[in-house]
Amino acid sequence: MTAAPTTLTASGLTLRYGGTRALDDVSLSLTRGVTGLLGPNGAGKTTLLRVLATAVPPDGGEFRALGHDPRGSAGRLALRRELGYLPQTPGFHPDFTAFAFVDYVAILKELTDRGARHREVRRVLDAVDLGEVRGKRLKRLSGGMRQRVALAAALVGDPGFLVLDEPTVGLDPEQRMRFRELIAEAGEGRTVLLSTHQTEDVAMLCHRVVVLAHGRVRFEGTPAELTARAAGRVWSSDRRDPAARAGWRTGTGTFRNVGDPPEGADLLEPTLEDGYLLTLDGESAGVTA
Amino acid sequence: MRSRSGPLQRMKSRPPSRTGRCPLFRAVLRALVPPVWRTLPWRAAALAGAGGLLLAGSTRLPERVPDQGAGWAVLRLVALLGAVAFGFILDDPARHTTAAAPVGRAVRAGLRTALALPVAAVWWTTALLLIPGPARPPAGPVTVEAAAMATTALALATAVIRCTDGTRPGRTTAARLALAAPALALVPDRWGLLGVPGEPWWTGTQVRWASVLCLTALWCAVATPEPLRRWRPGHGRPGDRPGRTSAAR
Repeated sequence: MTAAPTTLTASGLTLRYGGTRALDDVSLSLTRGVTGLLGPNGAGKTTLLRVLATAVPPDGGEFRALGHDPRGSAGRLALRRELGYLPQTPGFHPDFTAFAFVDYVAILKELTDRGARHREVRRVLDAVDLGEVRGKRLKRLSGGMRQRVALAAALVGDPGFLVLDEPTVGLDPEQRMRFRELIAEAGEGRTVLLSTHQTEDVAMLCHRVVVLAHGRVRFEGTPAELTARAAGRVWSSDRRDPAARAGWRTGTGTFRNVGDPPEGADLLEPTLEDGYLLTLDGESAGVTA
Repeated sequence: MRSRSGPLQRMKSRPPSRTGRCPLFRAVLRALVPPVWRTLPWRAAALAGAGGLLLAGSTRLPERVPDQGAGWAVLRLVALLGAVAFGFILDDPARHTTAAAPVGRAVRAGLRTALALPVAAVWWTTALLLIPGPARPPAGPVTVEAAAMATTALALATAVIRCTDGTRPGRTTAARLALAAPALALVPDRWGLLGVPGEPWWTGTQVRWASVLCLTALWCAVATPEPLRRWRPGHGRPGDRPGRTSAAR
């Protein structure tokens, strides 16, 4: 099987706020399909996404996406024309209807032909299952519906590069399942970078995963490779094992431990979350339960 | 969801030449007028506008015979109310959702201001005409003051957007204007902005208002365009200059 062509390469991206390095020499590459971006709070995920979405330039380093170099205004404009961005906290004009808001974003994406633009807006609203409520004002929609409006706004104009910042936060399980479907569909033929705290989202959606901590890339590879990092390092016991980096009581009453197992331990099949925890290796205060 | 190809791509195709971009820009502007008009801060404008007109109209009450000094004071308060409304023009709850759109914030801010200007001009003319003739200050200088107050409000709102993640700079701007206005009264007349015709420092007052107008308009022009920070070439490490904005947090 031939490797998918690289659609985004970033090297040495650095960004600091005052004395804090939000991004510290970040290098990565993306191909078509959904790439997950995992990391604890404050890891720099949102900052990285905003840099790659051209919302803020880095202090150092460079990247090219879809063949465009955004350091110049022409390259930035060319990239933005092929970019869909869903921020962590999408905002809306509350008095707009779902249709009017997505139409407004479509105009900002330079879709000027009214008839074609309206067809496109209807298409993306149908794609996110909001066709029935497109005439409703945004302030009357639920949080999950508004999140889908934001996804529709990101999808309008058929962008080749989608940047999604924690799109499933605050959604109930059913909405999250629906969102996974949408993102999986969006990943067909596009480059999608998905930031999330949910390791299940990455396990189910992503063909590649990047783990970020303290502004640095700690892992870049496939979900299977991240999971494999925990092979032989997950075991069960009757009591919490003090040697474990993380351990918690499961529904069956036994403890699931992650770390360096004692000899003769009852090893378990690792999950992506185990690999993620071991990759962070105590960098986040919340790793050890 | 369909795969990426087809009619939309053709619809989006643009002439590569520089001259080909002007018709596209004009078409975008035309299409943007209705939604941007809807996003203007009409509530704040209505409140401030009605307050300003009531204030100006109060000079016509029969028991009052205002002199020109009172006319100046009233019109300056009216202008301050108008400036407060102008501070809300850059309120954009969808700021982050539209942060990566090809049509940048500067275009939208310019369009919002351009759409608000005719309404503001009609409102200001009405307020001027409501002041009885003998008490009415000369239209030119007082209008320069009103314009300077409005651009100051815009400059403050621009600074809030540039330095923070905020999407609604209007309230912060209004509070700052409300604090700054009484402070002006404490400045000695010789150096202040509240002189009136006939006073020896009147010319200086006009020059200072014109300077405020030019400087704040210049700040708006410089600080509005994106990106909020500059791209730095190459792979180099960050320099000594810390990030000036939290916009990317």
